[in-house]
Amino acid sequence: MRMPLVRVRDVKKTFGSGRAARTVLDGAKIEIEAGEMVAILGRSGSGKSTLIHLIGGIDRPDSGSIEVAGLELSTLDERALTEFRRDRVGFIFQLFHLIPELTGVENVMLPARVAGASQGAPARGRELLDRLGLNGTADQLPHTLSGGEQQRIAIARALVNDATLILADEPSGSLDPVAGAQVLDILRSIAGGNRSVVLVTHDVEAAARADRVLELVDGRLRPR
Amino acid sequence: MRRMLVPALARLGARRGRTLIAAAGVIAAGVMAGTAMTIAYGLATGFDRASEGADAPDLIASFSPEERTDIAQRIARLPNVESVSYRREVEDFSFFSNGESTGRTEVQIVGSGRRGYEIVDGEDVSGEAGEVVVEQGVATEWGLEVGDDFGIENIGRLRVVGISVSPDNVAFPLNSRARAYLSQRWVRPFEPNPTEVDSVLIWANDPSNLDELLVQARTVSFGLQNLRFSTREGVQALVDRAAGIVVALLIAFSIVAVGAAGVMLGATARADVQRRLQSIGVMRAVGVSRGAVVSRYAVDAALLAVPASVLGLAVGALVAAGPSASLLEILNEKPPGAALLGPLALALGLLVALVVAVTLWPAWGAAGRRPAEILRGVEVPGTVRKSKVSGGPFGLGLRLAAGRRARTITTAAVVGAATSVILLMLAMATFLEDLEKDPGVLGKSYELIAQAGPDDLSSVAALPGVEAAGVRYETEVTSPFSPGEPFEAVAFEGDHTRFEAPALAEGRRISGQGEAEVGAGLVDALGLELGSTLVMQVPSGGEARYEVVGIVRAISNEGRLAYVGEDRLIAADPEIDGDVAVDVAPDATTGDVAREIEGIGFDADGASGSAGTNDQAFLGVLAGVLRVVALVNVLICLYALVQALAVTAAERRPTIAVLRASGAGRGTITLVMLGAAAAVVALAAPAGVAIQRGVLGPIVADLAAGYATVPLGAGLGQILATFAALALIAASAASLAAKRAERDPIAVSLREEG
Repeated sequence: MRMPLVRVRDVKKTFGSGRAARTVLDGAKIEIEAGEMVAILGRSGSGKSTLIHLIGGIDRPDSGSIEVAGLELSTLDERALTEFRRDRVGFIFQLFHLIPELTGVENVMLPARVAGASQGAPARGRELLDRLGLNGTADQLPHTLSGGEQQRIAIARALVNDATLILADEPSGSLDPVAGAQVLDILRSIAGGNRSVVLVTHDVEAAARADRVLELVDGRLRPR
Repeated sequence: MRRMLVPALARLGARRGRTLIAAAGVIAAGVMAGTAMTIAYGLATGFDRASEGADAPDLIASFSPEERTDIAQRIARLPNVESVSYRREVEDFSFFSNGESTGRTEVQIVGSGRRGYEIVDGEDVSGEAGEVVVEQGVATEWGLEVGDDFGIENIGRLRVVGISVSPDNVAFPLNSRARAYLSQRWVRPFEPNPTEVDSVLIWANDPSNLDELLVQARTVSFGLQNLRFSTREGVQALVDRAAGIVVALLIAFSIVAVGAAGVMLGATARADVQRRLQSIGVMRAVGVSRGAVVSRYAVDAALLAVPASVLGLAVGALVAAGPSASLLEILNEKPPGAALLGPLALALGLLVALVVAVTLWPAWGAAGRRPAEILRGVEVPGTVRKSKVSGGPFGLGLRLAAGRRARTITTAAVVGAATSVILLMLAMATFLEDLEKDPGVLGKSYELIAQAGPDDLSSVAALPGVEAAGVRYETEVTSPFSPGEPFEAVAFEGDHTRFEAPALAEGRRISGQGEAEVGAGLVDALGLELGSTLVMQVPSGGEARYEVVGIVRAISNEGRLAYVGEDRLIAADPEIDGDVAVDVAPDATTGDVAREIEGIGFDADGASGSAGTNDQAFLGVLAGVLRVVALVNVLICLYALVQALAVTAAERRPTIAVLRASGAGRGTITLVMLGAAAAVVALAAPAGVAIQRGVLGPIVADLAAGYATVPLGAGLGQILATFAALALIAASAASLAAKRAERDPIAVSLREEG
């Protein structure tokens, strides 16, 4: 039997304490197969972003288990988590989070220059720029690029280390409908083989591109 | 008031980490300012306090022993005299007490009348048998207390009844002679000539008219042998000149420290305002006035600044109190005590005002913009330009620094200023050590002085290891027109420049017996110029006249010296003793040649700048203190860089978070921070060298010895060592900033706008 790429079990996460405490995940469960594109729908503040932060190893749950590619994240120390993010995960954010001082190509290549990154990353970066149609704009600084171009650079950056899990947090949320559709199409195209994509959105139309759509309600995931 | 304070305390508590870092900066600046203020105020006012406490005379005349009645008759002819005390001084009667002893001593036999010293413990000699007052320097050095036994050769065992301070000279052991006071009434039977005195302490009715008194004193002193005058003002001028350098250095040092803290606090405040731009914009949009917006920053800053400044100043004052008191004790001066509170309060006010001002300034600027503009400008990065620098982590750090040009330049200015102070301190320490060991620093090209006479020149010159030898005469003389300004007359048989050749500033070297080269210090003291006639009176009373043909920049005796033709000097003072200056051959050692000289029956002393081992020890201590100050400046550099990087890291949390989300570990973040630090250091290091060599070095050299050429430019080794230290500091600051950045949760940082 094939192991799922991501297995989340009974995850709980609460922010704040006392009367201000707010539980955003309350026993969430999900399994994602390799090559699958999964969309997670939910209202603002429902805990969608928190869930992918936990799956991507940039936050830790209060309880429960998260396993990615056979690694139980709760057993990893900070150094191992850093290596996990470097080797396995690519993040795409609503606000792109490109580094304004670096050109497009430098933003794409930055993860490849992180200590311990794979040898093939630079070549892969150049190939991604070509594939995503960024060759003409790669040498420009982010503030001179359109939102769609910036998000494509962010996608290339997420893929440059050959991540097997792409976590996209409202990737079309800051874009016009045409650019947003292009970005979603790219995400759809990169899912497959060993690579899975988790798309977090509140947009039902965007979610429709996924293989499977789950909804986060009251801290738990349920099929839609 | 409570309505303002409670929320301000809550705000400070909510950002405890940043508050503590800012407080640490204020405390550090306070420590520097407190230290500088304590030492500077103590030194600047110590002589006046000591003089007042000791009831110091306005004029002291010393001479070969004379009948007291004769001296009293001469004094009676002087104008402007309020009161007079007579003394007899006996030198080199060994002192021994508490297991210690010294043969270089000075026993002052005091009569009735004003004393000119202050009893700081116990009581004065009363005339009872066996009483002695010892100077504080001896008591401290030997661990003596009132009631202890104290032996004086030829007199016997005495009892210490008091401990005294007299500001007319520095204390033992800096002054190589230990001093004690005995009552004339009791000691009379021990004296072979009890009616003779050899010094007079004179108090003037009007001290501002002392010049007239001095001229008259010179006139009525005709016939007195070995006459020497020292005025209270003259002693003060000497002490103030030395203290002035220390005070100037300390003030410069504390300005650098306070400036560093100010710049760093300003940068922190700017980052804080940047973070709060949204709320400032909203407050302004709903009609809150600019003043009201800014007032909360003022209250926050004052709440932080007042306790931190008080703590820093108090720590600085307490830390410096001990060394400052020791330094003043060495100078026979007194610490300021409660009088220091006034200057410290002033420093407190200035420090708090500075902290409030630098904190307010960014908020005032931000709140002055239109609300819509403020809200649009939330979290904008600095100036972004394309760069040819590598796009890797180190290059990214460089670009982050380049994007915040003002901050980078101000931090570089602070680090550069501190670097220049470090280099200055190292150069001064080296100079002091050279002064201690290397006669060349004084323009001397001989290493030893043989206590041999002119007749022994040939036998000294023939010794193995002697490159050259020459007869040297030196005596302390005065000008009849300025009797309170003694100076050194130096003469060689033959060309003095073979042995001593301080840099010639004006004119030419002497070529005839009637010519003199004078030090720039003497030019200032006597108002000489090229072509002037230098009239000097030798200790025996004789006079010699010379034409000033050259002015030299000599360090010895603070430039108060004259190189003169030897014939006229010997004619004026036939009793003058000559020594033999010995230039050691390059293939011989000074120690070997000294042993050779001792082998033929003469003592041999080093010819380095400081005469005695006590001076050498003092110079060694001073060099050590300067190196400590340099080290403290290294810490200032570290603080400035850590703060600048902390501000960069706080401002660029989303950038760092993205890097970390992409798998960057601490090593990569350290590289980014190192790039930002390198940008600062690359600007600061050359600037520091330029400031030290072009500005600080010359200014301090001029302050320290305007009469001489003092080499205070940092050497290549010192510059390279300082650069290495800066590189190490940059690496440490980067590592620290990366470690702290790693503590921020990535998810939280990503929620901030990028």
